[in-house]
Amino acid sequence: MYIQPEIIVVVTAFAVLGMEMFLPPRHRVLETPVCLLGLSTALASVVYLMIQGDGNFLDGQFLFDGVAGWFKVSFLLAGLLTVLLSADLLNGRFKIVAGQDRELIHRGEFYTVVLFNLVGSMFLISATNLINLYVCLELATIPLFALVAWRRNDPLSCEAGLKYIILGATLSAVVLFGLGLLYGLSGSVDLFTMGDNLSFGPATKLAIAMVVVGVGFKLTLVPFHMWAADVYRGAPLPVAAYLSVASKAAGLAFMFQLFYRVLGNVLLDVSMAVAVLAAVTMTLGNLVAVVQTNVKRFMAFSAISQAGYLIMGFLAPDGAPSMVYYMLVYVVTNMVVFGVLVFYLNETGREEIEDYRGLSRTNPWIALVLMLGLFSLAGIPPLSGFVGKFFLFSVASKAGFHWLVAVAAVNSTISLYYYLRIVRQMYIEPGFENDPPLRASVSIVTALGVSTVLMVVLGIVPFFYETIYEQTHNWIASSH
Amino acid sequence: MSWLSLLILIPFATALAVVATPDSKWYLRRWVALFGTGVVLALSLVMSVSYMQVVQQRGGDASVLTISQMEFEQSIPWFKSMGIEYHVGVDGIAMAMIVLTAIIIFTGVLASWEVKERSREFYAFLLVLVTGVFGVFISVDLFLFFLFYEVAVLPMYLLIGVWGTGRKEYSAMKLTLMLMVGSALVLVGMLALYHAAGSQTFDLNKLAMVDYSRDLQQWVFPCVFVGFGVLGALFPFHTWSPDGHASAPTAVSMLHAGVLMKLGGYGVLRVAVYLMPEGAKQWALFFLVLTTINIVYGAYAAIRQTDLKYFTAYSSVSHCGFVLFGLCSLNLMGFKGAVIQMFSHGIMTGLFFGLIGMVYGRSKTRDLTQMGGLSKRIPWLATSFYIAGLASLGLPGLSGFVAESTVFLGGFFGNRWVDATTMRICTLLATSSIVVTAVYVLRGLSRVFQGPMTKPEFSQMQDATIPEKLCTGILVATLAIVGMYPPVLIDLIEHAILPIANRF
Repeated sequence: MYIQPEIIVVVTAFAVLGMEMFLPPRHRVLETPVCLLGLSTALASVVYLMIQGDGNFLDGQFLFDGVAGWFKVSFLLAGLLTVLLSADLLNGRFKIVAGQDRELIHRGEFYTVVLFNLVGSMFLISATNLINLYVCLELATIPLFALVAWRRNDPLSCEAGLKYIILGATLSAVVLFGLGLLYGLSGSVDLFTMGDNLSFGPATKLAIAMVVVGVGFKLTLVPFHMWAADVYRGAPLPVAAYLSVASKAAGLAFMFQLFYRVLGNVLLDVSMAVAVLAAVTMTLGNLVAVVQTNVKRFMAFSAISQAGYLIMGFLAPDGAPSMVYYMLVYVVTNMVVFGVLVFYLNETGREEIEDYRGLSRTNPWIALVLMLGLFSLAGIPPLSGFVGKFFLFSVASKAGFHWLVAVAAVNSTISLYYYLRIVRQMYIEPGFENDPPLRASVSIVTALGVSTVLMVVLGIVPFFYETIYEQTHNWIASSH
Repeated sequence: MSWLSLLILIPFATALAVVATPDSKWYLRRWVALFGTGVVLALSLVMSVSYMQVVQQRGGDASVLTISQMEFEQSIPWFKSMGIEYHVGVDGIAMAMIVLTAIIIFTGVLASWEVKERSREFYAFLLVLVTGVFGVFISVDLFLFFLFYEVAVLPMYLLIGVWGTGRKEYSAMKLTLMLMVGSALVLVGMLALYHAAGSQTFDLNKLAMVDYSRDLQQWVFPCVFVGFGVLGALFPFHTWSPDGHASAPTAVSMLHAGVLMKLGGYGVLRVAVYLMPEGAKQWALFFLVLTTINIVYGAYAAIRQTDLKYFTAYSSVSHCGFVLFGLCSLNLMGFKGAVIQMFSHGIMTGLFFGLIGMVYGRSKTRDLTQMGGLSKRIPWLATSFYIAGLASLGLPGLSGFVAESTVFLGGFFGNRWVDATTMRICTLLATSSIVVTAVYVLRGLSRVFQGPMTKPEFSQMQDATIPEKLCTGILVATLAIVGMYPPVLIDLIEHAILPIANRF
């Protein structure tokens, strides 16, 4: 049954919620392993289904194919790593600093909300009906509002939640308007029929623009990125980590559905606009990241620029494998970096870039992991970030956008500059006096270990890219 | 498995072994590093001998080839859908560069014998850097080439930033960013070539068989030339080099000036000139003028320097200009001269920077004006310094003479695409830099080593230790061998240069 990963996640969500309601507080710590188990089982079943091959459910209302499989793998990986990263905060293992309130409360509810959000994203890439698609997009967005504002006594967190919900709700309306237009133009809610009926005209352009505005919000494309820095800053750090990967992947999934299935015929007509959007996004993200001093805001702008690279894949019809691959790479790489940030914030209460000085002495392994993660984000070989970017650049070059390749490559250099700022603090600057060696908890070590290994392996072992390529390069053709 | 893969596996394994050494035994690390690099050096010498044999056995007439012939080839599909392969192989040019790299890293480890501060990371990063350099020289696949190229550049940031001196953070960042912008240009160019050739392969020799359109070559050639030229200290993109070299620790300066800057020249030859002859013809004049400025400007700038390292760094800019100048002359002689100059300058500048490190360790100053009379206390180092200086001004009998005279001959012969008079004027200007070199080398060296001793504490100096003697000895011997008997090097590279020269 092709819907079984989603069912497993939903069941896990309710199981965790039930445990929160009926277990005494001291046993609620068990919710974490239950949650991890559920997500791992779902991941395993996705992999199993991918080996089985494509299929559908409910008369084609729910489609499982290669692209969907890889998206679900990314979502579930992001979910698993987020659960691991939030464990310390939920367990109360963090350094108490005056004026900061960082504890996460209501373990079970927290997990439930994360899992529901995951299910929304997972359905999103499998939906073949416009209405389902929109509902899934909402499900993949609304729980995030709650997660961002989870620390309800923290003014920053509440402000971030409010900002996020106002912008999110507005842009949902814009997307809905755009989808309505598309429905009116094509006379169908079935994505495939819509794609066949749609022709390129002014109204289509308007509809595309409206949809892109909405998705741009999720993907943090400039100029719809304004919320990102404040929300990342205010949200609990594991939530920011989740937001930076899962929410982006969901935005990309939505774009895949619309761009390839509905707008497949007209995609090349808008490639210039996509190229400009990509160039502006990566340039602005990178330039603003240069002057940040707080690591959370810094990562927000870094994530914005990564979105710019990501959408370069839409420039050529066969860019789908590169984008899926880069998304997977981005998920694990960003989780590596966020994992270290969570660790450092929990252990020391520090979150400014210059506070990272001396990390290579207090914990050399974690410093090495962070350095590798940052290098991968900057696209330094032989890490997977390099290979992923290379393939995306190749798509742009193939489509004839040589200027965009130049812009993107120069942007990689700018990004290297600010990633090196952290490396410099860790390795070159003298550390704090009397800082004891730092030790990481089991959950952090597991999360960092898994994501670092994946980050390295994805770039060196060709299996992943080749499989993605096989399963997705015909996606546009088969989705018609 | 090809023997060539060992050239990247051994340094990398050595880096891991260094990381695994216990904290208390720092001295173990230098022995591990010395052993690993020693094995690589032996391997590279054995391989170059067997390369010669293979080429002789194969026979055939190289004068009609237009595609480089690689030996010791091995090819494993990597990212099949993109046509990316782990494809390694060498020709004579690469072989010469591999020997150069092996010599420099071996002597570099000897020169950094006394590094104690965070020695684990130091040796590990140094060996990773060398892994990247070897990787570039053995790559036949352009993707692999580019990958190793970037691996070779990045560790430099930390090596300079952590173990450097002076304005090290500034220099490290400047160097890294400038080189990365260069590699961004290379990336644009290589992707354009790849797609123009049908998006099937990154194999350099297969890419070379494609006839690229004139328009494409017209914009891709300068992209790639400048991209690699940044690393080869092409004027006006050389400004990272003096700062970078001045701030870097001894072994890193050696490796950087000795080997890494050669990656620039090698990249220009292997990618820009080899793949895009049409582009090269169109742009020859432009780059010829730039490289002439390189040579002359570098030499004049060196006169004004008072810091020994800046002095050598500007002299490097001038000498690396010869490499690019030779490549711009677009004939067999010029290419040959460029490759010989890469080798010769690599050894010479390695010796220079090694010696500067050793002298600085004793005098605690690199300021020329404050030093004097050192040859009384440190005769070994002083003699080696003079030999390096004489090689640098092109004294016959040392390798610099062979290299520079070949480059000048190549320039003077000229080619059909650049006006002969312009070509000869440029060559004459470049040749005149030899005189300027003689001025600054002799003046600088006599100030440091001759005359009365300027500071009383200099009289406490000790001459070279055994590792230092070994280090300088190897480098001086190489300079002399290549200088006295140039066929050692020329026979190795000639066969490989013909196919490239035949494309013009």
